[in-house]
Amino acid sequence: MSGESIMGESTRQIQKLNTRKKIIETAYRIFAEKGFSVPSSVIAKEAGVSHGSIFAHFPTMNDLTVSVLSDFGDKIGTRLHELAKNCDSTENLLKEHLKVLEEYEAFYFRLITEKNMLPEEARYTFAAVQSTVAFHFSIVIEREIEKGTVKKLPTHMLYNTWLGLVHYYLMNKDFFSDSNESVIKRYGEELLSTYLELIKI
Amino acid sequence: MKTCIACGMPMKDISDFAANDPGKDYCVHCSRPNGEMQSFEEKKESLTKFIVKTQGADENVARKIAENMMRKLPAWKEYFD
Repeated sequence: MSGESIMGESTRQIQKLNTRKKIIETAYRIFAEKGFSVPSSVIAKEAGVSHGSIFAHFPTMNDLTVSVLSDFGDKIGTRLHELAKNCDSTENLLKEHLKVLEEYEAFYFRLITEKNMLPEEARYTFAAVQSTVAFHFSIVIEREIEKGTVKKLPTHMLYNTWLGLVHYYLMNKDFFSDSNESVIKRYGEELLSTYLELIKI
Repeated sequence: MKTCIACGMPMKDISDFAANDPGKDYCVHCSRPNGEMQSFEEKKESLTKFIVKTQGADENVARKIAENMMRKLPAWKEYFD
């Protein structure tokens, strides 16, 4: 094979990856704005790619949804992994959790409110995302329980209490704010300090 | 950065790798005490138990979540074809 054709091949590969990336990034935004039942033609138009190009990368909307959710899981995982590894505190881990959720708040709101209407594979992928968070949460909180700084409660109840609190504010954002501001930004600190007050010894 | 072929965890520090060996493609959580990688069934059961323990899921649901996670990982592809 000549050098030129190898170059041509790798350029095409890069273009293909770039298109895929662009579709995924656009899908984040469109899912956040319009929800998960949006037709693929809308995402194609917004991403500036042909409808056929979306099908070439993601044969079904379910494939696209699952890919976006996996990408989201990777992003959260990478952010929390370092903190958990470096023996950080529950407080810092949850601060970072809130920070990621704030960055993706509109998308995450859609996700938790529409989750039960998503196809099975997408729901399992969301469960995998939450398992990634739970994995890092458990490492940090179990270390604190051992040290005697956090109450000896079952890990799943500590985790679900935290998620329950955050999700309640997100799902009722119209109750907690009369504008489109971020509820995490407005209430995050209060949620975190109250939660820590409840679980700390 | 390498990610574990059996669970997808990022592996950066030496202590992330099975048997502290950066040549390994799987992580410390996916290895047996002797350093070998866990079997498909072992991994499925340990993931299931982990999901129940950390999130309180029903055991049957947790097993399905675990299978769905493993389906996407290189180490277990052949079990789903």
